[in-house]
Order: sequence, then structure tokens, then C-alpha cells
Amino acid sequence: MDSGEGAVRGVFTCELCELSSPYTFYGQKPPNTRGIVLLEECYGMRDPFSPEKEKFLVLGSKCCLCNKIVCVGTECSLFYTKRFCLPCVREHLHQFPEQIQTELAKKKPTQKS
Amino acid sequence: MSGRRAEPRDWDWNSPRCRAELDHIFFRQHDYIRANSPEHAEFWTFFERFQRFRAKRELSGSSSSRGRAEPQDGKARNRSGTGGPDLGLPKEYDARYRISVSVCSRDVEDGFGSSGHRRSGGESSGPGREQVSECRLALLHFLDFAQKQSFSKVLKLRREQRNLPIFQYRERLVELVRRNPVVVVAGDTGCGKSTQAPQYLLGSGFSNIACTQPRRIACISLAKRVSFETLNQFGSKVGYQIRFETSRTPSTKLLFLTEGLLLRQIQQDAALSQYQVLIVDEVHERHLHCDFLLGVLRSLIARRPDLRLVLMSATINIKLFSGYFNHAPVLQVPGRLFPIQVIYQPIPPEEQVSKSEKLDPRPYLRVLQGIDQRYPAEERGDLLLFLSGVAEISTIMEACQTYATHTNRWIVLPLHSTLSLTQQDKVFDIAPPGVRKCIISTNIAETSVTIDGVRFVVDSGKVKEMSFDPKAKMQRLQEFWISRASSEQRKGRAGRTGPGVCYRLYAESDYEAFAPYPVPEIHRVALDSLVLQMKSMGLGDPLSFAFIDPPPTSSIQTAVTYLKEQGALEARGELTPIGTLLSQLPVDVVIGKMLVLGSLFSLVEPVLTIAAALSVQSPFLRSAQHNPDCSTARQPLNSDLGDPFTLLNTFNAWVQVKGERGGGSRKWCKRRGLEEQRLYEMANLRRQFKELLRSHGLLETEEPPAPSAQGRTERRERLTERSRLYQLKREHELQDGGRRKVLRLDEGQEEESCSGSDNEGSGSGKKDKNSMGRDVDIQEVKFKLRHNVTKLQEAAYVSADLSSRQLALLRLVLCRGLYPQLALPDEHNSTRKDSEQVFHTRNKQGVMIHPTSVFAIDPEVLHVSENETGEFGADRGESNRHQLLAFVTLLETNKPYVSSCVRVPALQALILVANSVDSNADCTRLVVDGWLELCVSDGEAALRALSSALKLRAEWERLLQAQLGHTGSGSTAGLGFSGPKPGRRELEKLAEGLVRFLVYNEVTYSLRRLTALQTQNLYIGPQLNPELSLPPLFPGMKAEPDPVKGGLRVTSYFTYNCLCDSKDLYSECLRTFWSCPHCDLHMPLTPLERMQHEATCRSAEEQQPEDDPTDDSPQAASTSALTRLYHCDLCNKDLTLTSTQILKHKRQHQP
Ligand SMILES: [Zn+2]
Ligand SMILES: [Zn+2]
Repeated sequence: MDSGEGAVRGVFTCELCELSSPYTFYGQKPPNTRGIVLLEECYGMRDPFSPEKEKFLVLGSKCCLCNKIVCVGTECSLFYTKRFCLPCVREHLHQFPEQIQTELAKKKPTQKS
Repeated sequence: MSGRRAEPRDWDWNSPRCRAELDHIFFRQHDYIRANSPEHAEFWTFFERFQRFRAKRELSGSSSSRGRAEPQDGKARNRSGTGGPDLGLPKEYDARYRISVSVCSRDVEDGFGSSGHRRSGGESSGPGREQVSECRLALLHFLDFAQKQSFSKVLKLRREQRNLPIFQYRERLVELVRRNPVVVVAGDTGCGKSTQAPQYLLGSGFSNIACTQPRRIACISLAKRVSFETLNQFGSKVGYQIRFETSRTPSTKLLFLTEGLLLRQIQQDAALSQYQVLIVDEVHERHLHCDFLLGVLRSLIARRPDLRLVLMSATINIKLFSGYFNHAPVLQVPGRLFPIQVIYQPIPPEEQVSKSEKLDPRPYLRVLQGIDQRYPAEERGDLLLFLSGVAEISTIMEACQTYATHTNRWIVLPLHSTLSLTQQDKVFDIAPPGVRKCIISTNIAETSVTIDGVRFVVDSGKVKEMSFDPKAKMQRLQEFWISRASSEQRKGRAGRTGPGVCYRLYAESDYEAFAPYPVPEIHRVALDSLVLQMKSMGLGDPLSFAFIDPPPTSSIQTAVTYLKEQGALEARGELTPIGTLLSQLPVDVVIGKMLVLGSLFSLVEPVLTIAAALSVQSPFLRSAQHNPDCSTARQPLNSDLGDPFTLLNTFNAWVQVKGERGGGSRKWCKRRGLEEQRLYEMANLRRQFKELLRSHGLLETEEPPAPSAQGRTERRERLTERSRLYQLKREHELQDGGRRKVLRLDEGQEEESCSGSDNEGSGSGKKDKNSMGRDVDIQEVKFKLRHNVTKLQEAAYVSADLSSRQLALLRLVLCRGLYPQLALPDEHNSTRKDSEQVFHTRNKQGVMIHPTSVFAIDPEVLHVSENETGEFGADRGESNRHQLLAFVTLLETNKPYVSSCVRVPALQALILVANSVDSNADCTRLVVDGWLELCVSDGEAALRALSSALKLRAEWERLLQAQLGHTGSGSTAGLGFSGPKPGRRELEKLAEGLVRFLVYNEVTYSLRRLTALQTQNLYIGPQLNPELSLPPLFPGMKAEPDPVKGGLRVTSYFTYNCLCDSKDLYSECLRTFWSCPHCDLHMPLTPLERMQHEATCRSAEEQQPEDDPTDDSPQAASTSALTRLYHCDLCNKDLTLTSTQILKHKRQHQP
């Protein structure tokens, strides 16, 4: 079972929320998967909650604007054809469609400073 | 969308055929999700939801939203031109832009989906482009959804970790461990040290970490939790290892294991080179193994400067641990407890009771009433009540139950270790709204069992603790006041999930007067096993070992003496071969001895079962004892030979049921009031013992079966079966224990019933049946994975079918194992009531038989009946049927009780196993171990018995040593014994001899214990003119004057003619004419000479070559070895003669 875990390549740490976890791959191609391509260069690992070793979990990636490493959590980043960290989304909020703008507006109160 | 669009003629999303066609495109053999996998099923469920969702959106006018989106997008685009870079975002919002995964399916690979893809359209239209893209879209959303789900689990986990008090200290901890060989982490309940500290170390580059726990169950649950938290649930980076189970693999980097197991590993590798970091958790609990482990580790860190040691403790007595390790730095972590209000409610004098009386429940009831008055029923919060013992629990439970029935506001549940596991498990279930649980527990809930949701604690301030009385060689269960540390621990149980209240049923001044800490185990218990282990680890004199808190010297000395008595240590205190072996067995010395002795004869199977049964908690539930249905059902299992035989019968019968009915065994157990878990444990332990015996060469290795065609089929079938079982086990593990049940109001009232009628019927409720059904499966599955049931069944057949001769031998083996734990029935027992039978041990007079023992139910089998004593001297209590009890435990609770007893014929057993047998001149009076006196009126018969016993013992010892000397373990090689393995024929012959001796004894004798006065004046003491001239006629035996007792020491255990009442010290006048039945000798001989002659004469006869030409291990002693050089003073000649010839020669010179 362990052969499928893949060697740890480093520790992924989100620059915004400090979530951290070892990652076992970086790139657009999760190992041992056929037919899956990620649309961004991702930090990922084996899905820890699945017994199947080829299931993967994306932890985060770099913001396409500021290059910060951010996790995929909705408090830190969003993907809209590309990865944006939330600070960058806010900065360019007007370029995002209305749905995203309202979503972010709702988020404000719960967001921690 | 789908609603509006025209589907291909025969397209139906719900049809299996249509779905299958899409499966061929998206869920192929090597795709991320494969057809027929669990995810595949989940996808189609998701798909249906997804379609419904989209249909609804379309109906509610998604077009309008789209319509709005367009101008807005346009606006955004316009603005972007003026401020900042253009992000190049798509004009139109689409949820799929938010998905960062793409899927390459067959249609893409094959160019399928382009206009030319359709197969010959006639037979099936197949999925059209629309359907394929609809399925793809759903799949993308499904994958995205799965990612989000897993990621949010990670987030939640990390948030919980960050909220633990110890989180703030993680860098400090790692830094301390880097810089110091030993670090003490002190933190109270809820600080997270047990789960987090190992992770911090693992996460910062340490590897090969071992973390010890005092309890097996904690090893498993911590490993499970930590592997989950380290996101390694399905890997084996984090594992556990306990007595029967391990999840360890070569890639395991963090291992949770028991203290005892780590000690065993040190026994194998003193440097523990496999570990880089050792974490010893819960050191404050001060268990025997833990205290010892700390001592061993203290010397180990001096030799291994690279090793890191972390001690984790509650904030109790930290200075002691730090000081013991050269003032190791302490990291203090605050706990996370909610405020707890302490209320002192000392019991008023009129409600206090003396020790013999039942507890007065009034103080406890007042607390329940008070809670009902003060706290609204809607405010949740359960009550945990600490009492000292099981009897106290049932008294208070009864009263609380009455109150509960009256108010309908409480569910009363007991909690102690002798309950069945199902019953224990109920305390974790949930009370219905408006009702509180009242859990009445022993101190088991203080540390071992943690129950959430407790808001109120009632502390009686009492605990029952085991202590060891070295003088009476007895364990004692006594009630004590608890310590302040325990008191605080109990209080803390009220504040785990919210603010709480703790009612102390003692005064604050009592609390102040409590001892600060509980007495460490090492000060309370017998140290036999510890000393044995210390010896085998080469730790030198146990008295000079630097314990953290040294046990009393007398305690260690008692243990050393005991081990010498047991033959595990020789006179100088070094390990004997059998001692070396015993030190490797993780059981009590007496049980280990049984195993070794049993392996010598062909009694391995039953002895393995008995040894295992005696090493686990009894499977017989106490609560079922008074249930007549259970008693009736148990009846056929009872053996009047003794409790170990009842256990043997029970296990064998259970194995048969397992073989025939598999999962039906649970019902079978329930009917008989048996805790099946214990039987599973027995099976496991039994297997471990078997492996140990095998690895020590005491058991033949099983031959692999010949690779016959049939064998191959069987093996294949077994393999298929095994993989099916593994699958089941895995599925169970994924189920994660299942949710908690809601208790019924009448839950507490229902006794643990084992009466057949309502349980075996169908009406016992669906819910119960389901949960039990699942449970049965997993136990059964694990059992089948671990054991070859057919093999077990065979073994059970063997041991269920023992002949009376084998049973006699088996009883002797148990007796020799248990020796010196013997009890003598009081001579007046036959006139006493069944419940008042009295017994005596060497060190303790007036003990009772534990009510669970078969001899408490049926004491008559131990009585010497009237007509047996009749003929010769009823007045003198003579009989040939006297019996003794060999027992496993002597424990004093309200009375001293012996339990797990076997009955054995007294005279035979004593002269075969006792360490000291003394006789008078004509051997009509024998004193065994200085406390039992046997008087035989027929001196001839006594001599015959003694003489054959001496011979049998010598042979038994010789073969045992040969067997041990032959063992594979390298450790015994140093002792220089390595003779040939005893031959089968020799062993059979010995067994035959022993059985004959046990069964056909016709010696009538009286049996009694000596009074204190008699014990003082027992021996004649050393004599000025001892009979030095008596030649050492018995080969291998030196008959020399005994310097203490007087008389002649014939063997290490037999001293002749040393008893005070000897008629004549110079036994010459005891010579009577005697003819040897084996040769033509006829002359006047003293008893000793006669015995010696007989021994030589018979053993000479047995050397005859006709005896056993095929035996592959011929006797070392040849005929010539029996002759010796004899110098006759009278004729002044050197002669080479056998013992008999010497005697004859001497006679010639006599007038
Ligand atoms: Zn983040
Ligand atoms: Zn950014």
C-alpha cells in the first residue's frame, strides 16, 4: 500500500492561512492517474480519505497574479479559469462576473483579518 | 437543458444500457473512476441530483441571469481597460470555469464525438454528442465536488489541531527535543499531548519514533487518530503494536506500543537501535512496567547519546521525573478544562457504615435529587459516580434505579471491568432528551475510560486497590482513601465538554489529609515477573537497580526466593535454563512452567488452552452466575477435576461451535453467560504460546502438507476465503465504529440476561439485531483471519478426548506448574456447610474457595468419605484418597479466597513435586515443605512409594533438562547444557510411570498441617557422629549429612531420617530381611539402602539393550557407568562393582 503513497517532496504551506501539509506531487498531472489533467500547476497529495492510492487531492497552487502560494480553501483563493488569491480577486473585483462579486461580498463579515 | 433538447430516440438516462454506454467512454478499466467502483455508483447518484438541479435552474429562468450577465461582463471588460491589467477572464460566467480539472475520456482520445463517430446507426443510436458532453460536465462537477469535500476535511482537521493548547508550544517542543536527550512534557487532560507531540516530532524530521502507552486499547486508538491527522489513514507511516496485533510495516515511522512490549524489545536488543525517539506517555500513572522502563531507559541514554527520550505526564509530581533524568527540562502545557465547581458533602455519621455493612445510598440519592431540583431537564449533562468496587456499585445502583423509575429522568448504568463488553459499551450511548445518564463506576473511568458529556461527578473518595502481602503470599484487594491526585483527576471528568460540578462525599479536611499521589504499582504488587525479566536482561542485582522509586527490599527478596522455589533461579540467583525460558514468556511464572512441562509430554494442546485460559480474565460472567438458565446451560462444561478443566471444556466446546456454526457462537456464549471476547483472547494467546514454544524448540515445527492436488485446491480455497475476509475487515474499518445508539429509559433495569427464550427468539428488536449482526461479523472475521479453524478444531478434539490417564498426568503437570501454591482441605470440612469449607495454605490459614470455583459448588469431591477411612483408623484420618488443591490465585477481598483450583492426590503429588520432603528412619512419617505431615502405618508401602517417586523424579528432571538444553534459544547455550533431545520412547515410559504412580497408589496415610510448635521442633539437627560410612549408592545422588536438619540428604529435595521422632538415629537396627523383586538379592537392609538398591537395580535392568534398539537417542549412561571403584577396608582390595555387588560384598564380612 505504501508504494503508492509517493515520496514526500516537501511541505506545502498556504501563505495566507498557514495551512500546511506534506505534498507528493507538483504539476498538472497527478501521478498514477490516466485521463486527468489539472488546469494549473498544483501542489497535491494522495487523497488521505480514500482507500484507493491513485485518488489525489489538490492542496493549492500559485496565484496567477501575485505568485503567492495559496491553498484551494474558499477563504484563501478561487479558481476562475486561473487561480487567484482572494486579496488579488478583491483588487480586481470589477473584472470578475457578478456571481463572484456577490459571493465575495457575502464572505466579508466572516473573513478573519 | 436536457429537458428541452431532443434525446436520441431510445435514449433514457435511467436505463442501465444507456449508462453502460457512457461507462465505456468515461469509466473504463484504467480511468480515474472505474465502472462498478463505489465512486462510480456515487457518480450516478450525483448525476441525477445534478440533472435535477440544472432542470430547476432552467425553469426558474437561468436565461434571465444569463441575460444580465452579458452586459455586466461587458461593463467589467470596459472598466478593466482603465484600471490595472486585463485578466482575460471569459465574458460569460459559467460554473465550469471554476473547475480546475479536465478529463480525457475515450471520446477525446478516439476523436469520438466528432461527426463521424457514430457506429452503424441502426442497432443503437448510442449517446449523442449532447449526452457525452452532459455526462462530461457532470463528471467535472463531481470531481470538483470530491476535491472540495476532502479538502474541507483537511481544513477542519487543521483547525482543530491549531485550537489545541499544545499547538502554541510545538516549536518549543521540537527545539527542546533537538537539544536535550530527555524532555518532560507536562500537560493536563485535553491539552492534546498524546496525539500532537508525536506528530510534531515526526513533522520536523525525526523518524523511527516509538510512543508507549499503558493500555493496549490506547495504542490502537491513538495510531488510528494520528494516522488520520497526519493524512496517512491508508498508509502505514503510523502504526501500532500490541500483544496480538500489529499494523507495523517497514515504512512505519511512528509506532504506538505498550510499555510491556517495548521492554520485551529491549530484551531482544538492549540498545533499541531501531528507534531514534522514545516517547513514554502517561508516566504519572506509575505502572509497574513504566517505572521499570524508565529505569532501563535511564541507563540506555548514557550508552546512546543520539537517542531522544520524551516523558509525557499529567501535571503530577513533575519534579520526580525531571530529577530522575538529571534535571531534564520540563515543558509545561496548560490543559483545556472548563471551570468545575467543587461541593464538599461529607457523609453524616448516621449514614456512615462499618466495613461489613452495605453502603447507605442516601448521600448519593441526595445528589441526584439536588441535580433534578437545581438544573432544568433540558440542560444536558450526565453524571459520573465513583465508587470503590463492584459490590458497592450494585448497592447504589439498586437505590438509584428505584429513584430513576420513579422520576423517569435518569438512566442508571454500571461500569466496571467484570461487565461484559457490550454492557460496558452502553455508557457511551446517548440518553434521550430530558433524561440524564447516571454512570456508576469504579476508578476505571478515572483514566482508562473517557466518557464525553459528563457534567456532574460524584466522588466517594474511595478506591479498592490490589496489594501484595509477601508474608501470606497473597494478593489483597483493600479499600483506601484516594490520593489528592486521583481526586483531582475524578473532578476533571466533569469539565471536559463544558463547565461542571463535582460533589465530594468527604470533607475538605479529609481531602487535605489525602496522600498527594497514589501508591505506585511497584510498591504494591508481587515482583516475581519483574525480577525474572531483570535477570534475563542482565541488569545485575535487582536490589541495586536504580529505580525511580525503589520498591521495598523485602519485596524483591521475596520475589527472588519465590523464583528459586520455582526453579527459575539457582542458588546464587542466576537464571536456570527453565528460568531463561520463562523470562521470555509473557505470562506468570506458574503458567509458563505449565507450558514447559506440558510440552515435554504429549499434552501440549490441552496445556496451551489451559495456560491461555488462566492468563485472561474469566469468560464466565459474574452476573450470569445466579441465573438458573445459565447454570443449567453451563452444567455440561463443568469439570469436577477443577476450574482449569472447566475452562478447557468451555474453550473446546466453543471451538466446535465456531467450526460448525461460525457466527452462531455468540448466541451460544450468551446462553451460557460467557463473554465471547475472552474466548477470542484465549485463542490468540494460545496461538502466541504455541509459537513461543516452537521458537524455543519445545515443539515440533509443523510439517508443511504434501503438495497434493487436493491440498492445492484447499489452499486456493483458503486463499480466496482469506481475501474475502480481508475485504470484510477493511470495510468494517472504514465504517468507523458506527454511530452511538440512543438509550431506552429502561436500559439500566434490564439485567444482562442469558436465558435462552427471549434472546434466541426473533422478537428481540431490529435495532439490536442489526448492530449485533455487524459486530459478530467483525469478531468472527478477525478470528478466521488469524486462526485456522479446522486446526483449532482438531486440537480441541485432541484435548476434549483425553483418557483418564492423560487427565491424571495433566493434573500433575498443572500441579507442578502451580507448586508451591497448594491448599489443604481442613479435616472437618465434611461436617461443614458447603459454603463454609475451609482450606489452609502454607502461609495462610483459613482460606475459602472462591464462589466461582467448581469446588465451591461441589465441595464433596474433596472430602475423604467415611468408609474410605473406616477400616484402618478412622480416628487417625487415614485414607489413600487425600487430596490437595493446586490453585492459581490467592486473593483477599472480604475474605481470603483461592480461585482456579485443580485437585490432586496428596501424597503422590507432594513427593513428586515438593521442594522438601523429610522422613523419619523407617519413612512412616513424612513432612513436606515443613508444613504438611503424612503418616503411613505401613512402612513397606511408604518405602515403595518413596522409592519409585525418587526414581521417577530423577528421570523427569533428566528428560526436562535434556528438553530444555535442546531448546533453540541461544541464551541457554551459555549454560553449557546441550545433550540429546529426549526420545519419544523415554518420555512415554516416564509418562506411563508417573500415571501408574498417581493412579495405583494403595498407601493409606493421614494428612494434616503441623502446628507452629511442631514446626519449631521438627528436626534432629546436625549430629556429631553421623552415619558417614553409608556409601553413595544411588548414581548421581550424594547422600550426605544435612548440616541443618540432620539426617542424610539423599537428593536436593529428600532428606532421610532427619525428623525428630526417629526411633533410632543409627538405623542399623531397622534392617530387615528383604528380597529384591528385580534381582536375587536377599539380605537385611535399612530403608535407605533398600531404596538405593532398588533404584540402581531397576535402572540397570532398564539399560538392557533389548529395551529399545530403535530409540534414536540412546542413554548416555552405559552399564559400565553403573559399576564403580570400591575399596573394601576389610579385605583391603580395590574392586569394580555395581552398587548391588558392593552391598553383597559388604554382607560377606558380617557375621
Ligand atoms: Zn489558505
Ligand atoms: Zn494573488
